[in-house]
Amino acid sequence: MTKEPNDVTITRRISMTVNGERHEADVEPRTTLVDFLRGTLGLTGTHVGCEHGVCGACTVLWNGKAVRSCIMLAVQADGAELKTVEGLADGATLHPIQQAFLEKHGLQCGFCTPGFMLSIYELLGRTSAPTEEEILDTLGGHLCRCTGYQSIVEAAHLAVEKMRTR
Amino acid sequence: MTAPEKRLPGSVAELPNSAPRYVGRPIDRVEDPALLTGRTQFIDDVVLPRMLHCAILRSPHAHARIASIDTREAEKLPGVVAVVTGEDAKRWSNPVMTVPPGWGTHCLATEKARFVGEPVAAVAAASRYVAEDALELIAVEYEPLPAVADARKALELGSPLVFEENGDNVMLRKLFTWGDIDGAFAGAVHVVQREFRWNRLGANPLETFGVVSQWDELAGTLTCRGSFQAQHHFAMARAMVFNLPLNRVRFISHPHGGSFGGKGGARGTDITALLSRKAGGRPVKWIEDRMEYLAGGASQAWDRHYDAALALDAGGKVLGFRVRLLDDLGATAEGWGAVSAAKPLTSFTGCYAIAAAQYDLTIVATNKLPGSPYRGMGPPPHNWVLEQLMDLAARELALDPAEIRRRNFIAPDAFPYTIASGNEYDSGDYAAALDAALAMGDYPALRAEQARLRAEGRYLGIGLVNTIEPGVFDWNAYAIVGQPGTGVPEGATVGIDLFGKLTIKVGFALEGQGQYTVAAQVLADWFTVDIADVRVIALDTLSAPPHFGPGGSRLGVALTGAVLGAAQRLTEKLVAVAAGLFRTPPEHVELRDGRIGVKGRPEASMPFQEVAQTMLARSDLLPPGVDPNPEATYVWTAPGRTPADDQGRAKSYLTAANACHLVLVEIDVETAQVHIKKYWIADDCGTRLNPANVEGQTQGGVAQGVGAALLEEAVYDEDGQLRTSTFMDYLLPTIYEVPMTEKRALCTPSPFTPLGAKGCGEGAMHTTPGAILCAINDALVPLGLELREVPASPQRLWTLLRQAKR
Repeated sequence: MTKEPNDVTITRRISMTVNGERHEADVEPRTTLVDFLRGTLGLTGTHVGCEHGVCGACTVLWNGKAVRSCIMLAVQADGAELKTVEGLADGATLHPIQQAFLEKHGLQCGFCTPGFMLSIYELLGRTSAPTEEEILDTLGGHLCRCTGYQSIVEAAHLAVEKMRTR
Repeated sequence: MTAPEKRLPGSVAELPNSAPRYVGRPIDRVEDPALLTGRTQFIDDVVLPRMLHCAILRSPHAHARIASIDTREAEKLPGVVAVVTGEDAKRWSNPVMTVPPGWGTHCLATEKARFVGEPVAAVAAASRYVAEDALELIAVEYEPLPAVADARKALELGSPLVFEENGDNVMLRKLFTWGDIDGAFAGAVHVVQREFRWNRLGANPLETFGVVSQWDELAGTLTCRGSFQAQHHFAMARAMVFNLPLNRVRFISHPHGGSFGGKGGARGTDITALLSRKAGGRPVKWIEDRMEYLAGGASQAWDRHYDAALALDAGGKVLGFRVRLLDDLGATAEGWGAVSAAKPLTSFTGCYAIAAAQYDLTIVATNKLPGSPYRGMGPPPHNWVLEQLMDLAARELALDPAEIRRRNFIAPDAFPYTIASGNEYDSGDYAAALDAALAMGDYPALRAEQARLRAEGRYLGIGLVNTIEPGVFDWNAYAIVGQPGTGVPEGATVGIDLFGKLTIKVGFALEGQGQYTVAAQVLADWFTVDIADVRVIALDTLSAPPHFGPGGSRLGVALTGAVLGAAQRLTEKLVAVAAGLFRTPPEHVELRDGRIGVKGRPEASMPFQEVAQTMLARSDLLPPGVDPNPEATYVWTAPGRTPADDQGRAKSYLTAANACHLVLVEIDVETAQVHIKKYWIADDCGTRLNPANVEGQTQGGVAQGVGAALLEEAVYDEDGQLRTSTFMDYLLPTIYEVPMTEKRALCTPSPFTPLGAKGCGEGAMHTTPGAILCAINDALVPLGLELREVPASPQRLWTLLRQAKR
C-alpha cells in the first residue's frame, strides 16, 4: 500500500521528558499518549479505564497539569515534561500522597489510584491548603468502583497534612 | 488410619499466641506498596515474545442471519497474521456450557447474531491499531431478523425466537413452594402487593477484562494469562470448550482491577485461543475496551420484573411472602445464567421469621447482552422488593417501619435457624443492629425534622432496611437450576524457608479485597512473627492446591480456614521433629508464641524457625520417620453442607451476616433529583479479621447501591439497540453522589467458621438499593405517589411528579 501524505501510520519523531528522563521515539501520529507511555516507554503504572476521557484512571501530569492521556496523542506531548505514577516515590520512600493512601486504605484494587494521586499532586502543587470544595472537585473527576470514595477523601486530607508538615 | 483432623480455632483467643498483633486490627495492606507505585502487573502490562494483538468485530444488529463473511481483504493488510470467524469456532470448539443447559453458543456467531455486540470475527495483528484497521476490511452480509428486547413480549406467541430450536424463549420455569403459602394468604388480615421493575445494570470494574492466550499444537496445551476472577473455573470451562484434558489447560491469573462478579471474558479467551492456534502458536493478547465491555462484556445483570406480596395478620406478623419474577437473561445463559435468580433461596425471607413462601420464577431469553453476575449475585433486587413491601405493610397497619421489622425478626436465641427456603442462618441479633442504626441517626429527631420540613413544602424521606448477606457460597444452592455439586474447596500451602521466613501459596490473584493481607495477618499471628516475614504468592491452576478464589462473600472465611488448616498441619510436623529433639512424646510438645517446646517447661523450647531449619539442613539430627518438608497444604470447604431437595432446600451458604441501614434523602420536586443527606450503617459480620478491609467493602457496596438506586441503567431500544455504550450514558456514581457514611460494627461471631468470621465481601449492595427506595417512597407519601422502579433517575421521578400535577 502506498502511503498518503496525511497517512496516520507515517511516523513522526518526538521527544519528551518523563519523570525527569528524556525520551526520543518515532511514533505514528495516531498513537495515544497513554499507549506511548505504556507500550513504547514501558511505563505501565498509568492505566486505561475507559478510553474516552471519563474515568480519570489514565491521568498524568503534562507540563504540571493533570490531563487524560487516553484522549491525547503522543505527538501533542512533543517537547513536554510529563510525570506519571512511577515518578512519585523517591526510591523506596513513598511520596506523602502514596503514604496517605496506604495508611487510610484509600485503594482496593488500585487500578484507578495512580490517576487520583496525580490529580491530588497537581492540586497540592497549586495550594498547600486546599478547601474542602477544591478537594472534592479534584476527586470528582475520577471514578473508583471499589472504595465508595470515603477512604480516598480521608487519604486526600491526610496527604494535605503530610505535605504541610514535610 | 490417620488421626482425625484437629478442629480449627473458632476464635482469636484459640490461636497459639498470647498477644496477637494482627488479626482483628486495621492493618496496612501488604499489597499496597506495589499498587501505589504502579508496579503491580495487570494483564495489559504483560508482553510476551512474538505476541500479537486481537481486535473483535461485533454485530451491529440485535438479531440477524449472517449470510456471508469475507475476510480476504483483512488478511492482506500488512501486519495481520490471523483472522477467525464462526467457521473456525465451529471447527475447533464447542458451544459454552450454560445454566440451564442448551442456551449457549460458540464464542463467535455462527449462523446468526443474537445481540448487538456479539463477536462475529476477530483479527490477530502486530498491533491493536493494525488489528482495528483490519476489522474495517471485513465484509459481513447480514440479513436482519425481527428482534425481541422486552421480556414480556418474549413470552408472547409469535415472538421472535432467540434459539429457534428451543421452541420458545423460556429458559427456565420453576415454582418453589415452602410451607402453606395458600393458607397464609387465605388467613391474612392484610395483604400488600406491588409490581416492581429493576432495570439492567452491572459491575463495571475500572479495569475491563484482558487475556493473553497461547495454543501449543505440538504439546496439545492451552496457556492463558488473564484477569480471571476464578481461574480454575475458567480453565475447566475451556477444557470443555476445546476438548482438552484439564491438565493440558493452564490458567495464570494476574492481579486485576476489580471484578465484582462481572469481569467475564470467556468469549475473549476462547477467541484469542482460536487466533493463537491459527497463528501457529503465537501468543495473542486481547484487552477489552470499555465500549466492548458495555455492549458485549460482563456488564449487565438483573433485568427483572417482579410481582410480589406479603400476607400479614392483624398484629403485623408476616405470614407469607410470595414472589413472581420474570428475569430477562438476554441472548444466552452463558454468564452463570439462572444461578443469579436462584441465589435468593439462600436468604429468601431476609431477617424475618416467615413460615411460608413461594417463588414463581420464569427466566426468558431476549436479543440483549447475556446477563452476568454482579456483586451479591441475586438477592440485591430481591431484598429491595421485600424491604419495600415491609414499608408498605407498615403503612397499611399504621406501624412505624422500625416496629414492623422488630415484630418479625428471627429472635437472637433461635439460631442456628432454618428459613422457609431451606438455608440455615448461623447466628445474629437483628434487633441489636436496628437499635444501633436508630441510635446513630437519632431516629425520633429525624422523624421530627421530616415533619417540620414537610410543613415547609420540602420532601424528606427516611429509609430503614435490614438485610442478610449470605456468605461462603456453595454450589448446592444451585443444583435446582442445573449447576451440580456441593462444597467449594479453597486451598493454601504454607511453608517455612531455610532462612526462617514464611510463604503462603494460593490459587487466586489480587482483586482488591485485601485477601493477601488477611492471609498474612492470620499466619503472622499463628506463628507470632512480624507480618513482613510472611509473603503471599499466587499460583496457576496446575500448581495451586484446589481452589476457587473470590466470589459469593466466601474468600475471607475460606482462606482463613485454609491458612489455619495448613499452619496447623505444618505445626504438627514441627512438633514431631521437636519431640524427637527434646526426647519427649509429641503430645507433650506445642507451639506457643513462636516457640516449639515442652508444655510447661519454657526453658525446653526453640524458635519454630530452627525446627524448620533442622528439617531442611540437618538430616543428621532428624529423628527417624519424620517428614522433613516444612510445608503443608490444607483445603478448606464449608462443613455440614447438604444436598438440595426438590424445592431447592439445602444448608447452602454457611454464614449470614446482617446489616441495618438508615438513610435520609430529600427529593427536590423542581429538578426531580434525589439528594442523600445522611447515611448510617450498623453491620454485623462476626469477627472482623481486618476492620479497615470490612469498612472498605461496606462503603464500596454503598457506592454501587447508590448507582443501582439512582444512576445506572443499560438502556436498550425496542429493536435491541444499546443506547448506553459509554460512561457518558452509563453513569457510575462519583464522589458527588456517594454519601460519606457513619458506620458501627456489631459482632455476633459465627459458631461454624474459623475465627468466627462471616462473609462480608458483598458489603452493602444487598441493603443500599432498598434503603434508598424506601426513603424515596417515604418522601413521596404526602404527594400520594410511589416509585417502584430503579434507577430512580431525575427523568423517571420528574415524569411521576408531572403526572401527579395533572
